[in-house]
Amino acid sequence: MQLDSKIPDGPLSEKWDRHRFELKLVNPANKRKFKIIVVGTGLAGGSASATLAELGYEVMTFCIQDSPRRAHSIAAQGGINAAKNYQNDGDSIWRLFYDTIKGGDFRSREANVYRLAQISNNIIDQCVAQGIPFAREYGGQLANRSFGGAQVSRTFYARGQTGQQLLLGAYGSLSRQIAAGKVRLFTRREMLELVVIDGKARGIIARNLVSGEQEKHAADAVVLASGGYGNAFYLSTNAMGSNISAAIASYRKGASFANPCFIQFHPTCIPVHGTYQSKLTLMSESLRNDGRVWVPRNPEDKRPPDQIPETERDYYLEEKYPGFGNLVPRDVASRSAKVQCDMGKGVGDTKLAVYLDIKDAIERDGRDVITEKYGNLFEMYEKITAQNPYETPMMIYPAVHYTMGGLWVDYNLMSAIPGLFVLGEANFSDHGANRLGASALMQGLADGYFIIPYTIGGYLAQASLDTVREDHSAFNESSLQVETRIKKLLSIEGKRTVDDFHRELGHILWENCGMTRKDKGLKKARGLVADLRAEFWENVLVGGSGKEFNQSLEKAGRVADFLDIGELMVIDALERKESCGCHFNEAFQTEENEALRDDENFRHVSAWEYRGEGCDPVFQKEPLEFENVELTQRSYK
Amino acid sequence: MTKTGDKSCINLKLKVWRQKGPDVKGRFETYKTRDVSTDMSFLEMLDVVNEEMILSGKDPIAFDHDCREGICGACGAVVNGRAHGPEKGTTLCQLHMRHFSNGDTVVIEPWRSRAFKVVKDLVVDRSVFDEIIQAGGYISVNTGGAPDGNAIPVPQAAAEKAMDAAACIGCGACVAACPNASAMLFVGAKISQFTLLPQGLPEAKKRALAMIGKMDELGFGNCTNEAECEKECPKEISIENIARMNCEFFKAGFL
Amino acid sequence: MQWDLNWFICTLRSSIGKKLIMALTGLGFCIFLIAHLAGNLTIYAGEDAFNSYAERLQALGSLVVLAEIGLLFFAVAHVFIGAYLFYENFRARPERYLIKKNAGGRTIGSVTMPYTGLFILFFIVLHLIDFHFVEKTDQTIYQIILETFSNPGYAFFYIVSMIIVATHVSHGFWSAFQTLGVYNSEYMSLLRVMGTIFSLAVGLGFGFLPIYILFIS
Ligand SMILES: Cc1cc2nc3c(=O)[nH]c(=O)nc-3n(C[C@H](O)[C@H](O)[C@H](O)COP(=O)(O)OP(=O)(O)OC[C@H]3O[C@@H](n4cnc5c(N)ncnc54)[C@H](O)[C@@H]3O)c2cc1C
Ligand code: SF4
Ligand code: FES
Repeated sequence: MQLDSKIPDGPLSEKWDRHRFELKLVNPANKRKFKIIVVGTGLAGGSASATLAELGYEVMTFCIQDSPRRAHSIAAQGGINAAKNYQNDGDSIWRLFYDTIKGGDFRSREANVYRLAQISNNIIDQCVAQGIPFAREYGGQLANRSFGGAQVSRTFYARGQTGQQLLLGAYGSLSRQIAAGKVRLFTRREMLELVVIDGKARGIIARNLVSGEQEKHAADAVVLASGGYGNAFYLSTNAMGSNISAAIASYRKGASFANPCFIQFHPTCIPVHGTYQSKLTLMSESLRNDGRVWVPRNPEDKRPPDQIPETERDYYLEEKYPGFGNLVPRDVASRSAKVQCDMGKGVGDTKLAVYLDIKDAIERDGRDVITEKYGNLFEMYEKITAQNPYETPMMIYPAVHYTMGGLWVDYNLMSAIPGLFVLGEANFSDHGANRLGASALMQGLADGYFIIPYTIGGYLAQASLDTVREDHSAFNESSLQVETRIKKLLSIEGKRTVDDFHRELGHILWENCGMTRKDKGLKKARGLVADLRAEFWENVLVGGSGKEFNQSLEKAGRVADFLDIGELMVIDALERKESCGCHFNEAFQTEENEALRDDENFRHVSAWEYRGEGCDPVFQKEPLEFENVELTQRSYK
Repeated sequence: MTKTGDKSCINLKLKVWRQKGPDVKGRFETYKTRDVSTDMSFLEMLDVVNEEMILSGKDPIAFDHDCREGICGACGAVVNGRAHGPEKGTTLCQLHMRHFSNGDTVVIEPWRSRAFKVVKDLVVDRSVFDEIIQAGGYISVNTGGAPDGNAIPVPQAAAEKAMDAAACIGCGACVAACPNASAMLFVGAKISQFTLLPQGLPEAKKRALAMIGKMDELGFGNCTNEAECEKECPKEISIENIARMNCEFFKAGFL
Repeated sequence: MQWDLNWFICTLRSSIGKKLIMALTGLGFCIFLIAHLAGNLTIYAGEDAFNSYAERLQALGSLVVLAEIGLLFFAVAHVFIGAYLFYENFRARPERYLIKKNAGGRTIGSVTMPYTGLFILFFIVLHLIDFHFVEKTDQTIYQIILETFSNPGYAFFYIVSMIIVATHVSHGFWSAFQTLGVYNSEYMSLLRVMGTIFSLAVGLGFGFLPIYILFIS
């Protein structure tokens, strides 16, 4: 089956304008008759809730944290891209578009990416108006820094807390609408089921995480902005609560899941140091602007870094990629680090780390300048590792960071289920097989502030929707499903804790479906994940009851869903018999060990349709057309 | 060579506040934990304790957490009498066990304040912070139609100061640490951020009155300039922001 | 709360408004302390100087009465609002911590503020009975002082009281400016230093009097 992306006709640069014109509008007086559920209060969900409410819709917003301000977007450090060309260094909408398409290794839609680049400029304006304290030049103008995968300086930032500041901006706007009575906020609620009536998304079942009670909520459309699934790997840079449950529930109800195997590994994270470890901490990629990555040339070299002379250091990124040097895209940087460590040149106790050295930059710019740029990152590093980055090079290693895959959506951000829209990291839309730094924030806000407000109107204006209430039988069915599952989880009373299963799943995926993949490993992983899932449903120990605040139960539900996405990831990786971006299958590489695409056979989005418990998902294809850019072998030399 | 390689382990006695729900009486329970690696974070130590408790059929200790990198503001507890533990400028999730010694007794209590009800064990309800923000902690602009980002220059020093204030993670440690359970630092930080930026000025008066009015309604104590909040704030937000808020409030209330 | 109605009262009734009253009345007392101290310093210049100061003060007549009424009014406001804040602050934390440590913000002055305040109230009442409402027809004020301080117990009580006043002021002085909204950190550091100097001056200036009178003069 083919999926229809509904990309509008016309020249690339006019598509979005034209589409906005062609979309049907909802009469302002009618907007308040439409109820919209937004799941998630990250950049995507927060901005969408606020904007939809401003337009007059009646919005209900859900998040699992105790406050919308704590959504995982808060953790983004580095910055947000926009094609403002304030630095006069040759940036343009076209260049941002091109960099993003190329960075994604030509596995995303031209039209979506172009729209993203267009909107990027409005985002900055909007955020400045909201009072976000972006970094400024002495003259009071906005400052920029450069980021991996780009040769222009287009990243806007607020110290190392850009995500926090942008999210607080969206949270402010959301709060204003809550005060105005246009948004009803439901915190500590977890969406566990999507309710589909007559083929359309009409509501959700959520669990009140404090009381354990189930709640039914009906609406005219459901917007999912529930983030990514990096936590399937157990250790990742994602927040502990980041999960895939809302998306998987929708997948089970008929929303296709696209490119699940596209997983980004962030090159600059603090290495793993023990089995008890619960998460990995990212050191902003902006460090690669001033830091130099190296390993000892000699794998046997056991000297401390400051005693290794220049000539015996291998600045492998600078040597191999003179054009971009330390600023190559994430996938390239991550894989290169893995290659060095596989050759035995890794450093530290585990030998699974490389150095990121800031010494030359300090000598060049002075300690003060460097402190101003990265001071808080260095402090964080020191807190965790008890080492001082000013004195000894930091140790870094790649970690699971971002999931380009997600629920399949068309140009309107609508999933395969009419009335279910998916925004932010939860959808698959704009980053292809690899996301460039500082463009997730851009995408989340583009989706929420500037795309969904239009496209949802187009849907609501033409969908003839009956009134649906919470006593509809579909709500009861879904609610029963949820209850049965919770009962099941609690009644197993096995011998292994939820975390124990989660750790094992992470290990299987990291080893076999990680930075580099082999068919053999993937096949093995498929079996292992299936076995683990079977064991989980027979041997998990949750404890407590379903009618109380039960964090172990919350985790159990999420891990059960991670097991499902884990399997889907492996299936997808096996199907894609090429290497592209982050998906690096060792069987497909150039002589220089770069990802070797197969544009003839795999220039498409792979989407998977659920066919029921125990059945293999059905493969769906959305071919990708490239009319405006030439498909080239990515080269960062 | 490196201290990260130091695999030393310690044994601890934990004295943890256990409370089933907001209206149930709580009490301290004592647990022994062995072989805690000093490289662990405090929350990882609790994870290990919880895992053992689950395996032995006990109710694990509930605590809020999410990012585990000091930015979401979800975590927090008073550890041995100090909000977020003894380290300066550190959230509980960023506190590492290397700051404890073998044989220590560690007393762990939730944030205590009338405005923050205990949800369970160490989890408290901080939704009052959201209410304060809803009262006016934003700039009233709708999406769309914003002028170019560079249309209003913002002096660098002002942007930096605004950022200092905006760094607040809404964790509530200021309230927890304040001898009066006052929320002035949290509110002062938000009001300051917008006072320091030209975009925030049109609504400055309304914002100050509304946010402080809301804060007063919610059962926080009154500030007596003890500066404990500043000392315990994981983002080291200065009480200068409280002074600035006072100033804004007088301007709004009297002028 | 209705902000547009009775805005003035509303502003004063808010938490920051109450603080403002504490700050303003507190600063009022600081000014009084300066004046009082300046007057008392004449004791160090000898009996005659002090008595003539006292006479000249008396001669101001209704002005003094006005100031006294003002001080009384301030005292009532400071005490009642202080007590109310203390009550509200106590209520703000119904369940206390098992262990609560100082993180480095609190000082002896700030920790003891309500208690030193209560003590000072007690002291002022005694002080007024002893020196203000005392029968002055057949002895000079200097003689009264001499007589009172010659009781070592009273002298000791007086010295302790002055240390307590100094402690109260050590927090009160800078704190008043913080409340008034001095957010410039340079000024604030200056004010903190001034607060320390002021509290030392009060403590030493008054506290040394009994010693001087009994042993030196
Ligand atoms: C450490 C780190 C640093 C990063 N730095 C950058 C950067 O510098 N630049 C950049 O562009 N990108 C960065 N990213 C990526 C970027 O932060 C995320 O991709 C983006 O914030 C995702 O936003 P979102 O709105 O889609 O989802 P999220 O922010 O993840 O929000 C998900 C929301 O959904 C809610 N939710 C989830 N499941 C449920 C459920 N079942 N029921 C109810 N609610 C639910 C959650 O409560 C939350 O509110 C970084 C990511 C990480 C991890
Ligand atoms: S001011 Fe500091 S202590 Fe208070 S909520 Fe904000 S970050 Fe936490
Ligand atoms: S868990 Fe996010 S700040 Fe500690």
